[in-house]
Amino acid sequence: MENMANKVARIPNLVDWSTGEVRLMSAKCNSCGTYFFPREHYQHRPGCSREGVENVLLAGKGKLASYTIQYYPCPAPFKTEKKITPYGIGLVEFENEKIQVTGIIIDTDLKSLEIGMEMETTILEMYTNEEKQQVVTWAFKAVQ
Amino acid sequence: MRDVYIIGTGIHPWMGFSEQVFTDFAAVAVDGALKDANIEWQKIEAIMAGIFIYGGNAGHLSGQYLESIFGETGIPVVNVYNACATGSASIRMAYNSIAAGETETALAFGADVSPKGFLTAKSDNAVQDRDVIRWKMGGLPNPIYWALECRKRMEKYGTTEEDLALVKVLMSEYGSKNPHARFKKQYSMEEVLKSVYVCDPLRLYEICPVSTGAAAVIVTADEELISKADNPVKINATTMGSAIYGDPTIRISALSCPSVPEAPMLSESYSASRQAYEKSGIGPEDIDVLELPDNSSWHYLVYLETCGFCGDGEADKMLRDGETKIGAKLAVNPSGGFSSHGEALSAQALWQVIECTNQLRGRCGDRQVEGAKVAMAQTYGLMGNSGTTIMTV
Repeated sequence: MENMANKVARIPNLVDWSTGEVRLMSAKCNSCGTYFFPREHYQHRPGCSREGVENVLLAGKGKLASYTIQYYPCPAPFKTEKKITPYGIGLVEFENEKIQVTGIIIDTDLKSLEIGMEMETTILEMYTNEEKQQVVTWAFKAVQ
Repeated sequence: MRDVYIIGTGIHPWMGFSEQVFTDFAAVAVDGALKDANIEWQKIEAIMAGIFIYGGNAGHLSGQYLESIFGETGIPVVNVYNACATGSASIRMAYNSIAAGETETALAFGADVSPKGFLTAKSDNAVQDRDVIRWKMGGLPNPIYWALECRKRMEKYGTTEEDLALVKVLMSEYGSKNPHARFKKQYSMEEVLKSVYVCDPLRLYEICPVSTGAAAVIVTADEELISKADNPVKINATTMGSAIYGDPTIRISALSCPSVPEAPMLSESYSASRQAYEKSGIGPEDIDVLELPDNSSWHYLVYLETCGFCGDGEADKMLRDGETKIGAKLAVNPSGGFSSHGEALSAQALWQVIECTNQLRGRCGDRQVEGAKVAMAQTYGLMGNSGTTIMTV
């Protein structure tokens, strides 16, 4: 991905692009098998020893489990310099990790959205900060 | 455990944003409840107060602020917050304190002045408060969560846009007859279907806004007060539930949910309602009046299923066949629901209990459910909060 060095996530430890592929930063409990997103969103199975939680990256691609189109701008503290509204929000299912994650949908014809379609994790550039870095969040787009 | 009765209720009618302070609204509701119960303030032996989360220190100590208005008497005053199920927590604590014999008469109240515009994050710590992440990174106002679930429902059960609109048509008909309602205009199917999408498939008239309001309930086991009361209403059970591991619902403020269900949807409400059925010995088939949390048209449908009034995917047919109307075996939201009121966080669960109480006391005029003997109030709060109260006369 081009020029990722000049990008910074608005909140850290949620999205990783260091390998060249954009992936969500999850944690997995090796005792109860549950994946968490965000990492700190612990959701252990009752009775789990809670031992062996390790940081993992979710798969780069998943399937659209649900979606909506948001017709009014998201209020603060959301912030973007782009006119993204109306914007899509997807709930993307990562089958192996047995988890669904929400995210803004970009670079996709919103009319083409359909439950079950293949989506990939990507980056949405929201605004430029004082250090001239692009401040980003994670997003999803349809696999071309 | 002894029997506990509701002997007095009071409401400050629901309205939009106000410059007035929350205690002004609370005092109106509490005055109304004292008058309805025909008792003096000094008879109150405990206050279970709903926290007004946007009210700073005063809002977090709402019970103390209220007590000082009516006169401090040294009684226990406990403040509690369980999101939109806050009122369920306050009435449950009042009930338990009385049933256990600790207190004879207690007050449960909540008052909320809605902030202008949207409810947003209350801290700036993204590690401990995932609400910060959903706003800053997720672009996720509350109705999006409901729309995501609604879309799944439409795909799975064939719920139509007309079904979603029909909920509003029905709620607005009842709301127009309710003097406590904020929205009293009656809408046709065509008008609802022409309203703009907020988040597709949910339209403007199919989601509820935030409101200002206050509600107060006085409960007692004092036989003298019960005998003097106008149609006292027995609380058969008042319960609370939290979420169950493996609940597939995408919960407000979460960024993820399990994709393989191991628990029912809205498991906190499933849990609260099943606890109430077990404790009261009353089941869905016995209930005449149900007040459910219709934050959106999706909620109206799914809550009929979550609480066991029909099987999964059957609520749309119930609605279309008129089985949820006043006059049918089960009357759903004869108040006009949240659709006609909007949410006033700490007050709304008590307001639902009051509507049930008024129905059981035969006080509801044009929207009265004839012969109502058994009523149920069901709440829904974000992050796995829910309460169920079953009442009889």
